[in-house]
Amino acid sequence: MILFDFELERPDTAADAVALLGRLRGDARLLAGGTDLMPNMRAELVKPGVLVSLGAIAPEAPATLPDGSLRVDAFSRLADLERSGVVHARAPMLAESARAVGGNQVREMGTLGGNLCQESRCLYFNQRHDYQFAARCYKLGGERCYPFPTNKRDTCWSVYMSDVAPALVALGADVEILSEAGGRRIPVEELFTGSGLAPLALDGAELIRAAIVPAPAPRTGWAFHKSTVRGGLEFGMAVIAVTLALADDGKTCAGARIAVGAVRERPVRASAAERVLAGAVPEDARLAEAAAAAAKEVNPLPHHGFTKRYLMDNIRVHLRRTLARALERARGARG
Amino acid sequence: MLDVTKSGLGSEARTRARLVSLCVNGEWHEVAVKPRVTLVEAIRDAIGLTGTKASCECGTCGACTVLVDGRPVLACITLAVECDGRQVRTVEGLADGEKLSALQEAFLDQGGLQCGFCTPGMLMSATALLERSPRPSREEINKALEGNLCRCTGYNAIVDAVLQASGQGVKPVMK
Repeated sequence: MILFDFELERPDTAADAVALLGRLRGDARLLAGGTDLMPNMRAELVKPGVLVSLGAIAPEAPATLPDGSLRVDAFSRLADLERSGVVHARAPMLAESARAVGGNQVREMGTLGGNLCQESRCLYFNQRHDYQFAARCYKLGGERCYPFPTNKRDTCWSVYMSDVAPALVALGADVEILSEAGGRRIPVEELFTGSGLAPLALDGAELIRAAIVPAPAPRTGWAFHKSTVRGGLEFGMAVIAVTLALADDGKTCAGARIAVGAVRERPVRASAAERVLAGAVPEDARLAEAAAAAAKEVNPLPHHGFTKRYLMDNIRVHLRRTLARALERARGARG
Repeated sequence: MLDVTKSGLGSEARTRARLVSLCVNGEWHEVAVKPRVTLVEAIRDAIGLTGTKASCECGTCGACTVLVDGRPVLACITLAVECDGRQVRTVEGLADGEKLSALQEAFLDQGGLQCGFCTPGMLMSATALLERSPRPSREEINKALEGNLCRCTGYNAIVDAVLQASGQGVKPVMK
């Protein structure tokens, strides 16, 4: 049982849901799969007066748009994306990243939009420690940061652990945001503030309605890697998503998109590493150079017992291997 | 027994219980619950089926797994009101009277349980898997059961039991 009382509304349409959110202003939270919100409510990290459930709204099936891009309903369950033939054909990295999330039941319950809107995590914030009640941390409006006591009030090093977000960033996807004023479409990267205190740049009365993944350029390869301790039912230590396109000659790299997740307050683009690759012939040494640049540039936060130094090594090694896999796929991809 | 219709908040309580219809193992039940009551509490405390276990109660261990409209879900982080009108299957629904399901028999035969606390959740996750994929590979079984923690068996006997139940060359131990 959740230890405090709240009301629950089940609107029939997404438009009704945002209207409700607008009316309840701040006291309401959206409930999709609940796999992030419910544990957080149990620990009383959030105490909404009203939950606006999206449970009565059936998601639309993933569909290809006239321009070749793939539109995925944000209310889709992760397990359905993992199993969707259309998603496998048009955006296989999205399916693979969905398969990397949590455990089986979490994927059966959790939605794409909910995964993107998950709360950031820290070894202390997410624990129901006594001291979170006695004296709460900055993120809960308190007076100190327990894991990093020298951090100032405006600095929270909780990390954003979505597995799907880095994949969408690397795929160059957009998200459709719905509010009472109507819909707007922004690149998925603009969804994040970069602050651990409030990681999402969404207004309280907005919701993510869909993700739109553009059709890949010709000769594009992708690869995804999630570092974990036990290989299932856990958050990543570092999540790496890469797309890499080859030029017409099939040898030179036309461009790459590299995103690293679970190591900062937001999924991070490794732009310097992308510049190392663009226009170059991606030989092993070049991939290694790009991976080393990315590790430095991403500048991972120590989290969940992993030191910054370890995470830099992790990113350097696994990004190099992930790039090599993406390159292999790009060579095999249709021109 | 916990009276799920009463809130601990006394007169301050703002919310009222609402009637929720759940079809549990083919039998319809109407329960009066507040929004904050979880599905596992409704099943155990209001309906009285205590086969489903509540363990971590924060969606980590999978002991509370039940099938809602065929999907394995974590009943400890699912609100009962969200399941109004849905088909719920619990471990009590697997056996036909005294006759255990093939999967339950295989768990018994392989020794796929010791303390048994994770077993109802394991059985429901494995049942969902076998309904979707009647002859799963070892890798598929591992993936389907990754959300169910067992601290006794070391998992091998459980995976063998699922292989045995799906008729995939694992020899019965006891027969």
